[in-house]
Amino acid sequence: MKRGGQAWAWFWMIVGILYFFLPLVATFLFSLRARLGVLSFDAYQTVFNDPNFIYNFSYSVFWALLTIIVGILIFVPTAYLIRLRLPQFRAPVEFITLLPFVIPAIVYVFSLVRTFSKPPLLIVDSPVLLIAAYAVLSMPYMYSAIDTGLRAIDVRTLTEAAQSLGAGWGTILFRIILPNIRVAILSGSFLTFAIVIGELILADYLVKPAFAPYMAYLMQQKAYEPAAMAVMSFALTWACLGIIQFVGRGSDQTQIAGGH
Amino acid sequence: MTHLKLTNISKEYSGTTVVQDFNLDVEQGEFVSFLGPSGCGKTTTLRMVAGFETPTSGTITINGQDITNIAPNQRNVGMIFQAYALFPNMTVAQNIGFGMQIHKEPKAAIKERVNEMLALINLEKHAGKYPFQLSGGQQQRVALARALANHPQVLLLDEPLSALDAKIRVQLRSEIRAIQKKMGITAIFVTHDQEEALSISDRIVVMYEGKMEQVGTPFEVYNFPQTAFVANFVGTLNSASAEVLDPAKGLITMDGVQLVTVEDMKNRKKGDAVKFSVRPERFSFASEQKKDNILDCTIENITFLGAVVRIQVKIGNTKFNMDTFNNPFLELPKIGDKDQVTCSKEAVLVLNH
Repeated sequence: MKRGGQAWAWFWMIVGILYFFLPLVATFLFSLRARLGVLSFDAYQTVFNDPNFIYNFSYSVFWALLTIIVGILIFVPTAYLIRLRLPQFRAPVEFITLLPFVIPAIVYVFSLVRTFSKPPLLIVDSPVLLIAAYAVLSMPYMYSAIDTGLRAIDVRTLTEAAQSLGAGWGTILFRIILPNIRVAILSGSFLTFAIVIGELILADYLVKPAFAPYMAYLMQQKAYEPAAMAVMSFALTWACLGIIQFVGRGSDQTQIAGGH
Repeated sequence: MTHLKLTNISKEYSGTTVVQDFNLDVEQGEFVSFLGPSGCGKTTTLRMVAGFETPTSGTITINGQDITNIAPNQRNVGMIFQAYALFPNMTVAQNIGFGMQIHKEPKAAIKERVNEMLALINLEKHAGKYPFQLSGGQQQRVALARALANHPQVLLLDEPLSALDAKIRVQLRSEIRAIQKKMGITAIFVTHDQEEALSISDRIVVMYEGKMEQVGTPFEVYNFPQTAFVANFVGTLNSASAEVLDPAKGLITMDGVQLVTVEDMKNRKKGDAVKFSVRPERFSFASEQKKDNILDCTIENITFLGAVVRIQVKIGNTKFNMDTFNNPFLELPKIGDKDQVTCSKEAVLVLNH
């Protein structure tokens, strides 16, 4: 790259970093001004001392974990089956998994409420609906991550090798396939976690004591605490992404094989 | 006694027949190779024995038991794949012991068998390694041990050496054969490499376009090919067109040159067009020893191939290759020299098209 070109590359990178990080820095500095005249972590302390914070955050973490487990149980066998036996369904299924990107959350939640608030499907208050709703929201990330993981291994040959040794489908899935896509599952899981923790519309309209509605409520009542929570949300999301990068970088155990 | 029997096996995909009327009896402890070009149906046939494909018609039995419709994980058939297929999340020892774990064998028995297999493949020091830490040859040895650990009835090998470099391939095929003989296990080996098939098989099944072209020992398949395809596919071959001169005496003529053959030409008449073949190594110089056919020729080209010297001669208007062992003390002819070559009547093959 010529010197002039390199200078421009650096220029636009700095502009981009400033564009993204300046508002964050401003938010962070604002969150430190809870005590007059002094920069302090008082706002953060207030948040952590609020019993509602612990309750709402724990609530979201719990349902995020359940969503991850349900997602793994549904999407791993689905992606596996499609890759192994039904490749003709790959494109339609991929299309379906991308629908949450295009359907607005408000439309989604209203259709859930409308569909599941009448018999025989009266489960609008049930936690089952919340998990299912979160699983669908996280579908593009979880399914895509699992599918990418399956692409990196020779699913068919590993399956046939296991079958030739006497393994049934359950053994193949849990002892061969799952362990070899654990990095992909972790990636999908952390993304799902981040989405569920930060999801507002579903939790708010289904009247659930989740973390995001608590944050929204706090924004209306306090000044500095919402800024502190915004910074903490970013930090949590980046931590999740960082863990994904770290775990994914450590996995070089792909099989070296001809014909793969 | 027949250990593995394939009877009238056929396989169709969407109206296309990929395997047609395949019949084979394999004895206990026999090593049979399926040899043929890509797409000839050899792997499909193997996969039907493994249970990964279901025959459209026909039956497969092992030790008298019909396994045609039995699930692959119920057949107790060991399989080795071209891509090794070792489980990346398991160590060498865990891979080898996997089958026995599935069958809920006692831990002590698994450990003993794993150690036995590791000793068999000379990888005792690598028990704790993962597949990505092994070379291709080592991985394939582990795959072999894993397949054998379970005491399979039949061992199936689907081009297990294709992914390896030439030197390792030669070494490993001998090891596979030695282990198979030692354990007395029936084996089916799929390959497109004729040298592999010829060197390690008790019998070879040559396949082409879904059909069995010939079944026989390597010696029979190489020296007495029954079809033009087998003659061309197995070994190198000189082929030329000729005309029948005297079917009763086995005389044919090519470019005015007469050749005699032992091939049965009762169904042919004088003037019929035929194709005949002679293996390069069946020619020799007439000055060394005169055989049934003595043919005038001109030396066209000489190629030194190491252990073999390939001399291209022109007989009539047709060029033939003659292979002779390299002998540094034997003077070779020069290009352009007139000479005579000879071959026996058995060497002249007139094959079915």
